[in-house]
Amino acid sequence: MQSIRNSILSYVKLRRPTERFLFNSDEKARMQLSQWMCSSTGRDQNQITKRVVGLVKKFDKIDASKVTETAHFQKDLSLDSLDRVELVMAFEEEFSIEIPEEKADKLTCCAEVAKFIVSGAEQKNMEKS
Amino acid sequence: MSATSIAGYLGRRAAQKERVRILYRKALKDTLNWAVHRHLFYQDASELRERFEANKHVEDPDTIDRMIADAEETYNKFRHPDPYIVPWAPGGSKFTRNPTPPSGIEIVYNYGREDND
Repeated sequence: MQSIRNSILSYVKLRRPTERFLFNSDEKARMQLSQWMCSSTGRDQNQITKRVVGLVKKFDKIDASKVTETAHFQKDLSLDSLDRVELVMAFEEEFSIEIPEEKADKLTCCAEVAKFIVSGAEQKNMEKS
Repeated sequence: MSATSIAGYLGRRAAQKERVRILYRKALKDTLNWAVHRHLFYQDASELRERFEANKHVEDPDTIDRMIADAEETYNKFRHPDPYIVPWAPGGSKFTRNPTPPSGIEIVYNYGREDND
């Protein structure tokens, strides 16, 4: 139910700016609109951070009350290296991205994971445009 | 034990940890590739984890090296011939599909109307 609500809300949020951009013929806005239509990567960092934290809370070896944006996976949440591998795989599935091996080792808290996901999306846009 | 041999030992242990982590990651991904349904994957994944946990307390570096080599051999037989690739990654089904138009190209939103209409 929660996921349905979220998806509807994000859809409504996306609709409104699109309509506004359609009616004023601003060059930059058009560019942005065409980017939205081509790729679904235009999301802001807060939304992604929220999703990351929610995912970490659902992980069964973690005490959900301890999870914050800056909690260190190894020190604060007491995960060992294999647990971190499982967590990284969960992130990969949730956001359908590929996290390279050497980057996966450096991700130590939720905020960093969110930053990595946003930067990956931006990089993809840069390559395309 | 001299300082250099301690450093060498620690370096060797760190390399072994790295190898085990990479092996676990690859094996977990291929477990998901082999699983037809999600509920089958959970069982397989916890079995895989148990196999790793079973040798958690081995201390001797030479024994660990041999075990890792054995495990890598087992993994090579276990690999999936057609693994899942994230759609937008190279080799995925959506790779370079429907890209953003290059800069300098303008889209005219006149819905296909001609000039003399």
